[in-house]
Amino acid sequence: MRNRNATAYRFLTPYLLIFAIFWVWPIISSFMISFQATRTVPWRFAPGFNWGRLIGDPAFFNALKNTLLILVIQVPVMISLALVMAVLLNSPLLKARGLYRFAFFAPVVVGEVAYSAVFRLMFNLDFGIINKLLNSVGLPKIDWFSNVTPAMALIMIAVTWRWAGYNAIILLAGMQSIPEDVYEAATLDRVSKFKQFFYITLPLLKPVIVFCLVLSIIGTMQLFTEPFLITERGGPGGGTETLGLLLYRQGFRSLNFGYASAVAYTMAGLAIAITLAQLWLTREPK
Amino acid sequence: MATVTLNNVIKRFGVFEVVHGANIDVKHGEFVVFVGPSGCGKSTLLRMIAGLEDISGGEIAIGGKVVNDVEPADRGIAMVFQSYALYPHMSVEQNLSFGLRMTGNPKADTDRRVERAAEILRISELMDRRPKKLSGGQRQRVAIGRAIVREPQVFLFDEPLSNLDAELRVQMRVEISRLHKELGATMIYVTHDQTEAMTLADRIVVMRAGHIEQIGRPLDLYDNPDNQFVAGFVGSPKMNFINGRIVGRDARGVVVELAGQEKTRITQPLTGAAPETGNKVIVGVRPEHFGNAGEGDADLVVAIDVVEHLGGTSFLYARTANGDDVVIQRDAAKVPDTSEITVSIRKSYLFDEKGLRLR
Ligand SMILES: Nc1ncnc2c1ncn2[C@@H]1O[C@H](COP(=O)(O)OP(=O)(O)OP(=O)(O)O)[C@@H](O)[C@H]1O
Ligand SMILES: [Mg+2]
Repeated sequence: MRNRNATAYRFLTPYLLIFAIFWVWPIISSFMISFQATRTVPWRFAPGFNWGRLIGDPAFFNALKNTLLILVIQVPVMISLALVMAVLLNSPLLKARGLYRFAFFAPVVVGEVAYSAVFRLMFNLDFGIINKLLNSVGLPKIDWFSNVTPAMALIMIAVTWRWAGYNAIILLAGMQSIPEDVYEAATLDRVSKFKQFFYITLPLLKPVIVFCLVLSIIGTMQLFTEPFLITERGGPGGGTETLGLLLYRQGFRSLNFGYASAVAYTMAGLAIAITLAQLWLTREPK
Repeated sequence: MATVTLNNVIKRFGVFEVVHGANIDVKHGEFVVFVGPSGCGKSTLLRMIAGLEDISGGEIAIGGKVVNDVEPADRGIAMVFQSYALYPHMSVEQNLSFGLRMTGNPKADTDRRVERAAEILRISELMDRRPKKLSGGQRQRVAIGRAIVREPQVFLFDEPLSNLDAELRVQMRVEISRLHKELGATMIYVTHDQTEAMTLADRIVVMRAGHIEQIGRPLDLYDNPDNQFVAGFVGSPKMNFINGRIVGRDARGVVVELAGQEKTRITQPLTGAAPETGNKVIVGVRPEHFGNAGEGDADLVVAIDVVEHLGGTSFLYARTANGDDVVIQRDAAKVPDTSEITVSIRKSYLFDEKGLRLR
């Protein structure tokens, strides 16, 4: 038995080595770095230096506020939208289902830079299609990139566009695993399709919805691409700067790795805390 | 009055016709069982009555009223599904009351109906449990309870016992019988198990490949099948079929010679048009209709392959000289230990080459 384990571990060694060097070590090392003052060479151990700064840093609170705001608005909107999309995809009336399924899933596989560039064009002040559409229905143009509120909205729209279909596909798989005869029984019970959705589909889909929520929360906590590429590094004036962006700015622009590590640990801690709270709130009643 | 009338009912899925014109008259309070092999269209027919499938042709009437275009919930029926189709996230109590709650039935009335159903099915102490925490038999009771709560005129059952083990199946069979007596409602029950059909039904509808082969009371089907299929389907073990030939006719009827056994001749009185001499026929003999040598019309020598002892009775699996397989039922005490046995045919049925009964 021992021998067999030893052989197994020898086979696993290459992977374990890579895992240790590129996963385990950075996790430990960044934790230790977060306790060092890294603005001056040589680094020195100063436990309160980064963590103390975090508590009073307006840039950190700005990024935290932006991240949480996006989380609180974008995630529920996106999951609701994904639910509606899943219901439509699941409808027996729908023709060419495979095509729609692909279309909804496609945004995830489109390159981030390409999609960000297209969004910048679409939301351009003077010649973007979105403002043209707004104008054509009599609404004023919106300067999406130079005001904070529209810029935040733009980030949320972009993230939602990119991930709603992905969540819809997951939810659709969940819906399709609900047996048809449960709905037939409800139909015989004179329960309308509308009520069937709220009293049967939603409760039975809850585990899948929670799964989507957790994925989205973790994803949004790390949000980086959209504010980096679409609103140009968290612009206007840090108005869309997220924790991910702050981390990047501190770590890789100012080379202040200690502070960046502290931010990273805060992000991970928050994601875990929010996810746990969420799991607790949606737990199965005994 | 909750009669159910099917008038030339047809079902097509696309161009594929799966029910070819069914005519059935279910009387008020009657227990009718649809039986037939897998895929013959029993469930489809039942689902058409429930309104879960469109009717492609013909008419279905419940209580004298044509329901082709009536919503399932307005047909006065309740259905028990093979898979139970319980709402997994609701307690037993919620499962029973869900339909009534959703449609705004007064709470007092809902409570009364749920309580009564629970009492009838003896599930009162399970009311707070989720379906996941129930045994198969208990789930089945809840499913039936959900039907009772609707107080329907007609109960529809689609193979409700097929997921239960043998012992529980017998027990639930008895309960459904009791339920039928207690409620006095019309019941239509689908199964592919002929024992269930025989024991439960007032009348049985035997189906094959979308056609109704025969409708009749259980013993009528057993004693007087219209064709070889019904004869083979009703009764367990199956009726034996032995090839034969008409060799003549005497004062008592036509004389049939069994293939490969010139000496075994059976005389069958026929009231209808007698088939011509020389025609091939099929002789049907139930396992229980073989007697000791000399007891019946004709003696037959068979070679025994296997003997199954069930206690009181035994089944001999044997072959005729011509190679036809036959099953013979015997008292356990009277099983010989020879490899050959001579049996008599006490009662037999004649079918023509197409399988239609000659009588
Ligand atoms: N939705 C459907 N689309 C196409 N064909 C179907 C559909 N439902 C059933 N059929 C076909 O109709 C025929 C009858 O099916 P049905 O389910 O009524 O059989 P059954 O007698 O209930 O069989 P079983 O004992 O296996 O339940 C089968 O040949 C089946 O393949
Ligand atoms: Mg069926």
